[in-house]
Amino acid sequence: MGKKKSEVYSVEVNGIKDIETTNEGDGKEKYRGLKDHLGHKKDHQKELKKELDLDDHKLNAKELEDKYGTNIIRGLTSTKAAEILARDGPNALSPPKETSEIIKFLKQMVGGFSILLWAGAVLCWIAFGIQFAKDKSASMDNVYLGFVLALVVIFTGIFAYYQEAKSTNIIASFSKMIPRQALVIRDGEKKEIPAGQLVVGDIVEIKGGDQIPADIRILASHGCKVDNSSLTGESEAQSRSCDFTHENPLETKNIGFYSTTCLEGTATGMVINTGDRTIIGRIASLASGVGNEKTPIAIEIEHFVHIVAGVAVSIGVIFFIIAVSMKYPVLESIIFLIGIIVANVPEGLLAAVTVSLSLTAKRMAKKNCLVKNLEAVETLGSTSIICSDKTGTLTQNRMTVAHLWFDNQIYQADTSEDQEAQIFDQSSATWASLSKIVTLCNRAEFRPGQETVPIMKKIVVGDASETALLKFSEVIMGDIMETRKRNRKVAEIPFNSTNKFQLSIHETDDPNDKRFLLVMKGAPERILEKCSTIMINGQEQPLNESSAEAFQTAYMELGGLGERVLGFCHLYLPEDEFPDTYPFDVETMNFPTSDLCFVGLLSLIDPPRSTVPDAVTKCRSAGIKVIMVTGDHPITAKAIAKSVGIISANSETVEDIAKRLNVPVEQVNKRDAKAAVVNGMELKEMSQEQLDEVLINHTEIVFARTSPQQKLIIVEGCQRQDAVVAVTGDGVNDSPALKKADIGIAMGIAGSDAAKNAADMVLLDDNFASIVTGVEEGRLIFDNLKKTIAFTLTKNIAELCPFLIFIIAGIPLPIGTITILFIDLGTDIIPSIALAYEKAESDIMNRKPRHKKKDRLVNQQLALYSYLHIGILQSLGAFLAYFTVYTEQGFRPTRLIFLRSEWEDGNINDLEDSYGQEWTRYQRKYLEWIGYTSFFVAIMVQQIADLIIRKTRRNSIFQQGLFRNKVIWIGIASQIIIALILSYGFGSITAMNFTTLRVQYWFVAIPYAIVIWLYDEFRKLLIRRYPGSWWDKNMYY
Amino acid sequence: MVPRSVCLTLAGWVRPAAAPKGTSPERSLGSSFAELLLLPGPSEAVGADGSPFPRNRLLWRLRESVALGDRFSDIWDTVSLTSRRLILLFYLAFYGFLAALFTFTMWVMLQTLSDETPKYRDQISSPGLTIVPKPPGALEFSLNISKPATYENYIDAIKEFLREYEGKKQEHLLQCRNGTFFEQDNIFPKKTCKFSLETLGPCSGLNDVNFGYPDGNPCIFVKMNRIIGLRPQGEPRIVCAVKEGTEVNLATFPKDGRLDLMYFPYYGKKLHVNYRQPVVALQVQFQSYNQEVSIECKIEGSPNLRNQDERDKFLGRVAFKISLTQ
Repeated sequence: MGKKKSEVYSVEVNGIKDIETTNEGDGKEKYRGLKDHLGHKKDHQKELKKELDLDDHKLNAKELEDKYGTNIIRGLTSTKAAEILARDGPNALSPPKETSEIIKFLKQMVGGFSILLWAGAVLCWIAFGIQFAKDKSASMDNVYLGFVLALVVIFTGIFAYYQEAKSTNIIASFSKMIPRQALVIRDGEKKEIPAGQLVVGDIVEIKGGDQIPADIRILASHGCKVDNSSLTGESEAQSRSCDFTHENPLETKNIGFYSTTCLEGTATGMVINTGDRTIIGRIASLASGVGNEKTPIAIEIEHFVHIVAGVAVSIGVIFFIIAVSMKYPVLESIIFLIGIIVANVPEGLLAAVTVSLSLTAKRMAKKNCLVKNLEAVETLGSTSIICSDKTGTLTQNRMTVAHLWFDNQIYQADTSEDQEAQIFDQSSATWASLSKIVTLCNRAEFRPGQETVPIMKKIVVGDASETALLKFSEVIMGDIMETRKRNRKVAEIPFNSTNKFQLSIHETDDPNDKRFLLVMKGAPERILEKCSTIMINGQEQPLNESSAEAFQTAYMELGGLGERVLGFCHLYLPEDEFPDTYPFDVETMNFPTSDLCFVGLLSLIDPPRSTVPDAVTKCRSAGIKVIMVTGDHPITAKAIAKSVGIISANSETVEDIAKRLNVPVEQVNKRDAKAAVVNGMELKEMSQEQLDEVLINHTEIVFARTSPQQKLIIVEGCQRQDAVVAVTGDGVNDSPALKKADIGIAMGIAGSDAAKNAADMVLLDDNFASIVTGVEEGRLIFDNLKKTIAFTLTKNIAELCPFLIFIIAGIPLPIGTITILFIDLGTDIIPSIALAYEKAESDIMNRKPRHKKKDRLVNQQLALYSYLHIGILQSLGAFLAYFTVYTEQGFRPTRLIFLRSEWEDGNINDLEDSYGQEWTRYQRKYLEWIGYTSFFVAIMVQQIADLIIRKTRRNSIFQQGLFRNKVIWIGIASQIIIALILSYGFGSITAMNFTTLRVQYWFVAIPYAIVIWLYDEFRKLLIRRYPGSWWDKNMYY
Repeated sequence: MVPRSVCLTLAGWVRPAAAPKGTSPERSLGSSFAELLLLPGPSEAVGADGSPFPRNRLLWRLRESVALGDRFSDIWDTVSLTSRRLILLFYLAFYGFLAALFTFTMWVMLQTLSDETPKYRDQISSPGLTIVPKPPGALEFSLNISKPATYENYIDAIKEFLREYEGKKQEHLLQCRNGTFFEQDNIFPKKTCKFSLETLGPCSGLNDVNFGYPDGNPCIFVKMNRIIGLRPQGEPRIVCAVKEGTEVNLATFPKDGRLDLMYFPYYGKKLHVNYRQPVVALQVQFQSYNQEVSIECKIEGSPNLRNQDERDKFLGRVAFKISLTQ
């Protein structure tokens, strides 16, 4: 029993929560030992990950004085301080290195396809240079084309830069945490100086509400309590004194950390570290030392750019060689090369992708996921492991009464976020007594002036547990403050860690009852010790073996749920011994504190958010592993994990199995256990391989009592499994892991600026469930980007074929380079963005996350289907339009073959067509432009069909619905309108190479558009009919 | 990339011989490995041609080629061996279908057209002018009286051009009525009007077989592009003028450079088989040597024949240079 007791979550109203940690003297070791696993890492990172080698907490005042050359009473001298300041630099964190804006901009200018287009532009100018050198009257066409290409690059670059700048929220967060002023003793005088001026050895004074201005060794303290949550993640206030209590500098009580807040009390301390050398500073530099991983979508886009650029360059070079060997002049061959490159590069695609991502980002922002880095939008969708914090993310981050035990029975309380009433059975007289104790033995108070605020949202002055009890009783009984007034408090002993109880004595509100009521709460075993009777159904009964056992069982059960259990007892002081005027003295305790009457137990927990279990289930069905990583105690962690479903109801840990089979833990086959709860201590001992084994073998994992550095190790371990890892966090301590993760998610409300800064995404409502919506959006955008890319790539073939046939068969050029740019950057832009609005085809949350190395954005099927199926069909349709125009004007296809050299010869002004008519060069040129325009229109018409078929990859268009995505229709309208404007609006501007077109030429390609649609429906039909078949494998992209 | 696809092709040949029939095509390379490894029979597989082929070695090469890993790896990885043949078949069938489709649509399109007249002539509503002979490159004649090589080609070209107009060749043609259109919309076959070389005077080649070139009075022939159905209004004539350079005498034949209306309209190559295009000869009579002149000829006298288009320098006009040296 004794051993088990220590496992029960320690029970305290106030103070530190893990005094009963089973492992003693873990000290530094707890945080150490990480470096062994990281031997392969870069040296400076190793340095950072290795824990702090701080021993100032072990030194006494004298030794400290010697070490830092200071005087505890008089402080440093001003001159000495100035010297040290000059040596160490100011007490400020160096801001994270920012890439300069110009470099960011230039990167946009050379990234992606830009290099290819620049090459095209330069080739244009070179070609013109050569022409000009030969013939001063050379046509300026190439110069214009060069400029157009350069403009395309510059504009898309500016656009991408603007999008990125808009979405990247650059906050210099660390600087915000710097305290403004510090009260320092120098030259024996107290001075207020800017905190930046502090140096090692300074003696500073802090008081409640201050931020601690540097890492300080506490020399004297009066009830000083600090909030270390931004550093350690522990949300409880921690007391600070000058005693050396722990080997580990992070755990010992006599060190106060830079940027943490002093909640109450006062303290004097000596500065032992400043600026970047403080703990926070080191974590901050650790975060910036962790490289930002390339996002999966960036990798995908790079992969895609490489494919397209590879195709463009190789086709270009092949045809350059063909052209040269066909005796074309080199100069012309270069111009062909440019044409081929321009035709192959989807100039507008990257802009469309950026817009699609930012549209999704906007949509996610509406659902409380604020995306800082656009590419992170998709990353969340491919996430396969989520490492979630417990406090605040999975839980509500407030203590709440979860269970009650009285009358030998456990009652469950409502722990939801917005409780209006409690519905457990409140008829028992025991409850009446218990509620009175809960109400009276409580120092927490509502801050005045909140009458209209719902109870659960009211601000309370007091610690977490008392707040919970106050709100709990307020919900049930209402107006607690009034009740307390009626039961005037005559004496009180506040909680302290030696007593482990809290006691107060009240007058009763019953005018007939002159007795005083003594109420007490505290650690259940302590309270029980003081009791001789127990109240059952309102009746006091002697506390015998069986009732004590019932108490133990209840206590164990509630403790096993990871709840913090409090015991409550009372005693009516006999009127004769304690008359009205009795002078209660809390120092001498002139009143009984034993033989009390035990009333009941209440257990508190930070309850899970109500939306979380559902979200976890969704994650699970979406194939995402949710791992809980918390600094909290394993039992609490496990209990919360179970209640939210991270550990499912029927899975067991190794320990559970051992307990069930009654065998030692070592004998259990680890693979039998689905779940695992790994302690920070165990993690420390693990080798990389062992950690991998844990991550692979167990589907449900909880890491408890972990340090910030261990979080990093866990993330790295997950990434070794090729997983895309999302990490949630709020504290400064989380920032390295947030940065290391494929997608770091910071909490918007509870999160520190450092965490928000390191994260890619901020959850505005701190709610885990929002992540799930994010995942859904991320998956959708990945699917839709596939559609966008497939749509965009298709017409590249229709743009490329003309050049190839032009070179090989010598026909007049079917489509000009500028015209191609008008398709890529004109008619196709809005439709490709419109696909981002497409709804999911099936439940995307029921499939596994994509494998980042296998499920590519642009896979073989997509490329082949777009290029070799639909692309070729489109080319045929466009050529039909081309031949129609030429034939109807007099040039039959047979006449066109190998006509090119005569056609383009400016000295031939009587070129004969198939009917014996003669054409001047300009008349031919104009006909060529009509050809361009009709080819353009034919591609546009077929792109409408392409757009419609790309709405779905598997389902029929009719299943998806033609009108659900209205933006598609805007896209189609834009295609038609832009084409109409180009043809009829700019018809007379020859530089654009567009002409007005006979009405019927707009319809020539329609049969092909219909064939495209029918063919794709046929493809989808077979895919649906024969899943897994050869067809499915080769045709589904 | 190359060695690897070669390798896989090899494997493709080897496998069907050794693999049991009906193995489903595999998507991932890993599992096709497994399949290869699990194949029954001796470790020495038999190649397609029946020669022994060491499978282990093949596997090793496969692995090695995988290790070479290139960007297109997934393209090859995901395609297993039997399925690649299916793909080949599929593409044959698919492109066969596309070829048929394209041929059919082209055929349909061609059916809508007539063989005799193009559907539209809107792009050539007004004819261009060209000259014979045509200097190579830009229209600049540079003639040297003492070097016949500088003009012999031109004389040959003119002779070639005028061959069609020789009397013998026009014997069966009609002598039409001057000054009116020769309308024959409903007459088949179309008849052709005679163009008599005599009208070209000194440039006819009847008297001077060298067309004045050795004498410094070169003849240049201006012709108007044929356009089906074109009916010039008024009295079209070719008017030439010196634009730049010293004074030279320009003489046009027939008189005033007239293009007689009887040569219009033209009914197209197929119907109007022997059509003779009217020609205007221009004799440039240099007064002295070592001169250069720019000459522009235009169609005038016909409101529906344009001769002033900013972009089309040959629409109803033609400009050229002649330099004469000794």
